Amino acid sequence: MTALLAIAGTAVAIVVLLALRRPALARIALRGAVRRKSETVLVILGSLLGTAIITGSLIVGDTLDASIRISAPNQLGPVDLVVRSASPASARQAASALEGFTSAATDGVLDVVVLDTSMASGGPRDTRRAEPRVQLLELSFPDAAMMGGDARATGISGVDPDRGEVVLTRDLADALGREAGDEVIAYVYGRPLRLTVDRVLPRLGIAGFSTGEDSTSRNAFVAAGTFSRVLERLPAQVAASVPPPQQLVLVSAAGGVFEGADNTAAATEAVEAALAAVRSVRVDPVKEDLLDAAEEAGDSFQQLFLAIGSFAVLAGVLLLVNIFVMLADERKSELGMLRAVGLRRRDLVRLFVIEGAMYATLSAALGTLVGIGVGRVIVAVTGAIFAGFGDLELTFSIDPASTVTGFVAGLLIALATVLVTSLRTSRINIIRAIRELPEPTGGRRRARSAVALAVGLLASTAATAAAVAGDDPIAALLAPSAGAMCLALLLARVLPRRPVLSLVAAALLVWAVVAERFIGFEGGDINVFVVQGVVLTGSAVALLSFNQETVGRALRSLGGRGNLVTRLGTAYPLARRFRTGLTLATFTLVVFTLVFISVLSSVFGTLTDDTVADEAGGYDLLASAAPSNPLPEGELRRSDGVAEVATLTYGLAEFRVAGRQDFDRWPLSGVPGDFVATGAPALSEYDTARYSDEQQVWEAVTDDPTLMVADAFFLQDGGGPPEQIVAIGDRVEVRDPVTGEVTRRTVAAISRAGVAFSGVMVSAESLDEMLTTAAPHRYYVATEPGVDRAALAADLQGRFVANGLEAEAFRDIVEVNTRANQQFFQLMRGYLALGLLVGIAGLGVVMVRAVRERRREVGVLRSLGLPAGKVRAAFLLESGFVAVEGMFVGTLLALVTSWQIVVNSDALGDLDVPFVVPWGELAILLTAALLASLAATALPAQQAARIRPAVALRIAD
Amino acid sequence: MTITMPDHGRGDDILVARGVRKTYRTGAVDVTALEGLDLSVRRAEYVAVMGPSGSGKTTLLNCLSGLDDIDAGSVQVEGRDIHRLRDAARTAHRAQRMGFIFQAFNLIPVLSAVENVELPLLLNRVPSKAARRQAQATLDRVGLAQRYDHRPSELSGGEQQRVTVARAVVAGPALVWADEPTGNLDTHTAERVMQLLAELHADGLTLVLVTHDPAIGEAAQRLITMQDGSIISDRRPTAGDLVPEGQRGGHRPSPAGGAAAPVDVG
Repeated sequence: MTALLAIAGTAVAIVVLLALRRPALARIALRGAVRRKSETVLVILGSLLGTAIITGSLIVGDTLDASIRISAPNQLGPVDLVVRSASPASARQAASALEGFTSAATDGVLDVVVLDTSMASGGPRDTRRAEPRVQLLELSFPDAAMMGGDARATGISGVDPDRGEVVLTRDLADALGREAGDEVIAYVYGRPLRLTVDRVLPRLGIAGFSTGEDSTSRNAFVAAGTFSRVLERLPAQVAASVPPPQQLVLVSAAGGVFEGADNTAAATEAVEAALAAVRSVRVDPVKEDLLDAAEEAGDSFQQLFLAIGSFAVLAGVLLLVNIFVMLADERKSELGMLRAVGLRRRDLVRLFVIEGAMYATLSAALGTLVGIGVGRVIVAVTGAIFAGFGDLELTFSIDPASTVTGFVAGLLIALATVLVTSLRTSRINIIRAIRELPEPTGGRRRARSAVALAVGLLASTAATAAAVAGDDPIAALLAPSAGAMCLALLLARVLPRRPVLSLVAAALLVWAVVAERFIGFEGGDINVFVVQGVVLTGSAVALLSFNQETVGRALRSLGGRGNLVTRLGTAYPLARRFRTGLTLATFTLVVFTLVFISVLSSVFGTLTDDTVADEAGGYDLLASAAPSNPLPEGELRRSDGVAEVATLTYGLAEFRVAGRQDFDRWPLSGVPGDFVATGAPALSEYDTARYSDEQQVWEAVTDDPTLMVADAFFLQDGGGPPEQIVAIGDRVEVRDPVTGEVTRRTVAAISRAGVAFSGVMVSAESLDEMLTTAAPHRYYVATEPGVDRAALAADLQGRFVANGLEAEAFRDIVEVNTRANQQFFQLMRGYLALGLLVGIAGLGVVMVRAVRERRREVGVLRSLGLPAGKVRAAFLLESGFVAVEGMFVGTLLALVTSWQIVVNSDALGDLDVPFVVPWGELAILLTAALLASLAATALPAQQAARIRPAVALRIAD
Repeated sequence: MTITMPDHGRGDDILVARGVRKTYRTGAVDVTALEGLDLSVRRAEYVAVMGPSGSGKTTLLNCLSGLDDIDAGSVQVEGRDIHRLRDAARTAHRAQRMGFIFQAFNLIPVLSAVENVELPLLLNRVPSKAARRQAQATLDRVGLAQRYDHRPSELSGGEQQRVTVARAVVAGPALVWADEPTGNLDTHTAERVMQLLAELHADGLTLVLVTHDPAIGEAAQRLITMQDGSIISDRRPTAGDLVPEGQRGGHRPSPAGGAAAPVDVG
């Protein structure tokens, strides 16, 4: 941001200096803006949207960052490190080693015992509310309140709860509908404990302690010794088989909630030194990880929205260029006169820049305000999408730096646009300008420009070769574009201009469509899509612009050669190629993106049945119990409606693949030997030389503990289609997050599953070897034929509430995921619709200007007997012509590109997707856009129709 | 001021204007451009309208052709009161019965010469092929056979004005209005254009022409002189009309720098 501020500051300073040194220019610029109030308003409106979109995107990132960061004070407070132990023995040793621990880098330690369990409200059975995921904690309240030196930050107040009492967090109390004095039932190792709520604490600090990704803390604090008393009462055999409660040591690094995170490294070092003699313990920098994740998520959302928004920003830039070119055309004779009386060309540029800077500053300021509104809308929509997934609550948040960045970026874009346009428009011939004669086509052909073009061509060719060889898709799209421009301009010096330019534009267009087949676009990097979209639309619009006459002839013969409306409606767009090209590019660019996203949305929307089959194999429901309170498999199998049950051991492991430095957490499931009997998840890839079918692969994996099946999204950071991180035969390192011990597994297959987050699949024995704390608490359930799966899932949840059972039909899981994807696509389309709005507004602006510019010509036509209705129709046809051309080209490009991606490429990974075009949706979208375009033109067209010939001709006596 | 007209308005009158009044509002001031004007034009007549700047010549043309509305009076063209017609009907009437030649040519810049000329034909629903043939023939007649597909910006001023003339006459109008048709042309080109108009008139065209050029006024069959929104003379031109207008009054500067009082030379 500092660099942006510096550049903007310099730019503004230069403009101010210019205005001060040349007050005459400043006066003309100011009066020009004031005199043409409506144009000034149009310019400002046209350019503010770019700033709004940038600001909105940054605010979305701020919101996500802040929404995750808020967990630092709310769910960690003074806690910066968590010491985890592989076994009760090592936990006791760790607690002992850290008893009374002090160091300069830390300001408190706290022993905590945690058990994941379930809880229900007391009272009559039919009115009970259950919460299947509750974190039951034992800790010393006085010690907790002292931790970190700021009792308020801990959220802890009061004394320890007595036996039979429980302290709830507000989130849990609300979920159960309980308050102080009410009764709740905690299910500890299957035993119901009736507890009275002593008090309710806020979700804050240690009271809200959670290291998960949810924004809510369903915590319940019980008296010390509660867990051991329950364990003591369990039959010895049962007590030995259940996972013990986790004994953690929480450590606060010196400093406040956020400042403490800066001392993470020193605190970790000190704690690790104290634990040097203890085996199988791990120090987890939870707060640093949380803040990093917040920043990463915020950045990734910012990037996504900025990239998608860049189409609309580009549309805004094109509109701005168009408006400035039109204004310059309109003022041509005035500018010619200024040149005639002694203004130099550079003075004209200064004049434009001073005037443009006034518009840019105003539009950037207004755009920033509008951007806050845009951000708010996106956050509201995104929040609703996230609500379908989990508990991350989005809290609208604005970092002042984002508004400044949005303002500065918008200002710079507008200034740069004005400057480049001014350089072009300042090149006027004084006489031609004064007499308003058209500029001759083809400029002077200087030898040095030919040399420059040749050098450019060579450099672009080299860059293209390097990009193809290096699999760099962005360079592979941009370098040939630059080369094509150089080649076209070079050839046009010696060969007929139109065929040469058309040929080069067509070649570039084809390359932009098929480049993906030669260079890996895998993973669907949004920036590649943006560049591809710009190159595609740029080359298509150039190709069309060079051949507009052909299009016009075809249209005229369709409308009848004698149809005056068709002739007049197409004559101007065909004659003014540059302006038409700019409007066309705006439309094409936005429609291309909108249609492309609609097709992708439609393609993914058709996958539900296949995804359910791929994900679930032969199973119907996915259920999971509290790890500390697992459900005996037999009990579940005996339930009505249940045909088969496979119990999976489940936990989080850390994986490292070749080419990555760090280990990344990912779910790991251990499947039993009979898992495959009912039907395992579908595989997208396996060694066909070794295995004849998927059944054989699964049998091998369940037999051989060295093998693993990677899921479709294995170690993938963001959303989008599956990115294949590993290949068959790769060796993957797996680290136990508690003990830190590393084992290795070989990738035997890659599955099509991933939506249900079962993660990597290995045999149960293999998992036991890798993870010390994982428990068998995840169930793949096959139902009896004809059973209502959703009803059965609800029934099972109610029946096994003591085990904290959560059950859901695979179809529901997939549908929720699909719905969220569709909503996200919808959000993207909404964002892009802003670009379409720019295009439509641009068309309106162009037509307003056109009516003014052509008053005299309209007057002549009216005097010759052209009815007012035909004048109106001609103007409507003119805007409709450009809009329809843009929509047609944009749609065609989007269909070809999406077809290429869906049918012919690896960009969607191994997704076997059909190419489905949502014709109905596209028809509605395009019709609405066309109607909106015509509506935007209706007023200027009506004004044109009302022009009185005698007034328009302005024939003075 | 109304003056007594010569006996042109009876018999085969193509245009009859009675009591035409037109007032412009400029800011808070009403400026009377035409003051109860009466005028008749006979079929195949060649009428020149002269007068100093601001005398109402162009307003006369605009109001009598129906390009502009009038505040009072009536204008009958071939027996139809054009100001009682609705806009659409008046526009259609203009397309069928009138042609226009402007000082600034006013060709449509994005259309070629032949496309500009065929416009009135297409407005009159002449089939496109026939319209094209007729437009080409008219361009041939005005000496632009090699310039069909040139756009206005590719033509000289004289050529542009000839295209304008061709456009004005191509549909066989009953009446052609010309407003300073040679105002933007050099003497030689102006002569050629006037020769062309004379030939067309000889073929039976009714022509009402506004001009500052005494030579053009003198060539007409009838010369109308206007001042302050009124016709102050209406007669056959004489050799004396070749005296430049400024020397006969009108804009002759007064010794104090103001406009001299108009002089009736009728």
